[in-house]
Amino acid sequence: MAFVSELAGRPVTDIDGTRIGFLKDLVARPYKEFSHPVVDAIVVSSEKGENAIPYADLAALLSAAIPLKRPLAEIAPYEFREDDIRLVEDVLDKQILDTDDARVVRVNDIELIRVNGNVVVSNVDIGVLGIFRRIGIERIGLWFARRFHPDLSVGTISWDFVEPLVHDKFMRLKVPVEKLAELHPSDIAAIISDLNRAEHSELLHKLDLKQLADTLEEVEPDFQADLLEHFTDEKAADVLEEMAPDEATDLLAELPDERRQDLLKLMQTEEAEEVRELLRYAEDTAGGLMTTEYVSVLPDMTAAQTIDHLRKVGEEAELVYYVYVTDEGEHLIGVFSVSDLIIAQPLALVADFMHKRVVSVELGTQQEEIAQIVAKYNLIAVPVVDPENRLHGVVTADDALDKILPTAWKKRLPHFFGAVE
Amino acid sequence: MKKMLLLRDRWMTNRALQRVVLILSVFGPATIAAMADNDAGGVATYSVAGATLGNPILFLLFIITPLLGITQEMGMRLTLVTRRGLADLIRERYGVKVSLFIFLSLFVANLGTITTEVSAIRTVSGMLAIPVAPFLIGMLLIAFVFITKGNYRLTQTIMLIVSLFYLTYIISAVKTHPDWGMAISNLFYPHGVAWTSQYMASYLVIGMGVLGTTITPWGQFFISSFAFDKKMDKDTLKYSQLETYWGAFLTDFFSFFMIVATASTLFVRHLTLTSGEQAAEAIRPFAGDLAGTLFAVGVLAAAFMGLVIVPLSTAYAFSEFFGLSGSLDSDYQKSKTFYILFFIQLVLAASITAIPGISLFHFAIATQTLNAMILPLVFFYLINLTSNKKLMGEHSNNAFQKYFTSAASVVIVLASVFTVVAVIFRW
Repeated sequence: MAFVSELAGRPVTDIDGTRIGFLKDLVARPYKEFSHPVVDAIVVSSEKGENAIPYADLAALLSAAIPLKRPLAEIAPYEFREDDIRLVEDVLDKQILDTDDARVVRVNDIELIRVNGNVVVSNVDIGVLGIFRRIGIERIGLWFARRFHPDLSVGTISWDFVEPLVHDKFMRLKVPVEKLAELHPSDIAAIISDLNRAEHSELLHKLDLKQLADTLEEVEPDFQADLLEHFTDEKAADVLEEMAPDEATDLLAELPDERRQDLLKLMQTEEAEEVRELLRYAEDTAGGLMTTEYVSVLPDMTAAQTIDHLRKVGEEAELVYYVYVTDEGEHLIGVFSVSDLIIAQPLALVADFMHKRVVSVELGTQQEEIAQIVAKYNLIAVPVVDPENRLHGVVTADDALDKILPTAWKKRLPHFFGAVE
Repeated sequence: MKKMLLLRDRWMTNRALQRVVLILSVFGPATIAAMADNDAGGVATYSVAGATLGNPILFLLFIITPLLGITQEMGMRLTLVTRRGLADLIRERYGVKVSLFIFLSLFVANLGTITTEVSAIRTVSGMLAIPVAPFLIGMLLIAFVFITKGNYRLTQTIMLIVSLFYLTYIISAVKTHPDWGMAISNLFYPHGVAWTSQYMASYLVIGMGVLGTTITPWGQFFISSFAFDKKMDKDTLKYSQLETYWGAFLTDFFSFFMIVATASTLFVRHLTLTSGEQAAEAIRPFAGDLAGTLFAVGVLAAAFMGLVIVPLSTAYAFSEFFGLSGSLDSDYQKSKTFYILFFIQLVLAASITAIPGISLFHFAIATQTLNAMILPLVFFYLINLTSNKKLMGEHSNNAFQKYFTSAASVVIVLASVFTVVAVIFRW
């Protein structure tokens, strides 16, 4: 086992023992079938400039001085490839993604091991001990760790769970972000907010439409608008269609007028109409907060028919826990929960088991008031009606309480919505 | 509802209004940093400067103001373009050892500044005749609570008190009917005094103090951390740049009147500044017999502001150097490391002031001089990073920014050497 920080700066000697320079960087090559990259070359710096020497031409790498196998003059310089990772320049001291814990961490050191005559990148050191080693007081660190703080020594993550991120615009992600697909959208959102522009651009482009939409829903609206700048209008419109209409509306409201109109034109007519409707209302009123993706049924349907209906439309709806009952003129006349529905006999009529006294708010009701109503009646959503009692949408509890509850409390609330799948 | 719709439409289409909102939303870090530069150490340093040197020290403001504006703008631009804090980038580009060295320098300089704030609180307790120990412990506790529970409005209120306090200097300066011609001409070239070697040595040392309290190493890290924290965007770059220049002007606008007020009250009477009561004389023309109390309250507010912001900047820089750039958020603020760092600084500062014989005014000059000496080190990395074309693209430094700050750094290094010589051989 060796550390990159220890190897860096070691002298590299020619076959006759004369020093040709110092080790500046290690070049590792990722392989598809093997999750740990293999050191393929070293970069040696001398007064004359830099030489890239293939690993095959080194007599030893993990030694105090690094001797060559053949005279320097006979060695063909290593040719860099697109996906090569320069361990010092690209990874050491940089922030990387720990996909196992879904967080961004800083690399204090990189661990190498010897496997079948090759040197392989095994772990990334993100612990305090790595810092102690770098400033040359590892022993003091170890002593301290043993004495006071046993956790201190555990600070490595396997390269398996690492995605190197690059902060300069000219570099690219070296490894496909497959593991990201397995993360929860809110985890992806948390990671994105830790990254800089170039990085989250890279990351966002690796996600599919559904993931993108889910992730965007998890970040703050002004930051959403920021992220949307990375996409072409067509792609942005596709993502907006995929998002819940109320979330898409909040996002569009953050954009300049022209861009918003352009995007609305590109969206499919149906989705665009819903969003246009929602855009008409101020952001902190029921009209602005509501989603139009609710389930409503007619009073003369049976429980069995309702369940069939739910199976068909439930996929699309943001909220299926409450089913609203409206008459032919869209007037809200009742509500029941899915548990009411399951308990009801299959042939029972909706009109018979629905609750007729429905708590609702008007389109212009302010957010604080909605939050109070939601809290008072213990609802997970409240319907929004116009003065004629026509149903326009529902505000879910998390949207109503958003901005009113301190963030810390919000995080403690269970995720009623959006966390399905 | 119709009315609401109309309002909303008008709001969205009114570009001018949007622009104002945009300016207000970035109106923050630079102004806050600039105001915080005038902490208790600042008041003490400017008071000493005006009282000991008179108008000629004003000349420094003429150089310090653009230097402050340009370097703060660099820090802000660096963060907005790279989405990394200054400390972050130093760690990524120069490694652990350089990071540790800069952090330790920053820690020592900040500890000095915090100690100055604590000793200002002691001075205030003397002026207001409140027992030192309970008063000091109370203030430290409030600072700690402020960090953990503080909100934006409270911060604004304290800033406002401090700004009002500075206003008393402006009014006092006007009321003493100083020689405005002398004051303003001294901005451009120092003159009107006998240039004895004693005076020149004082000018050098106190001048370094004035530099160090106006442009601080922590201020450089603070502005970039703050810009990162606010998640400000590259599109707002132009406004942010304007704001840094405005912030720099504002700081030195107040400094100007503070120096003029002390110069025309204390310097003319050849009083050496040793006590808070004497320093309060500078605002007597405005405050009359209330001068002492008003000075005490103003300095207290200024000290409190420094007591909160300076240790914060140490903790933030620590997190960037050895942790993550994203860690300014609540997670880090709740972490043990954050509290321990904060606590250690306050306790150390309080213990240092307990050493007998430390005068606020001497200590202020000494620590601000130390701050000034560390500046070239910070500037070196700041200039290198912001001049890096690969990193900054089209936003890298122009020739003026680069050469003005580089030249200033060289001058500061030379002045530091002379100051050390002057202190060793004359003081």
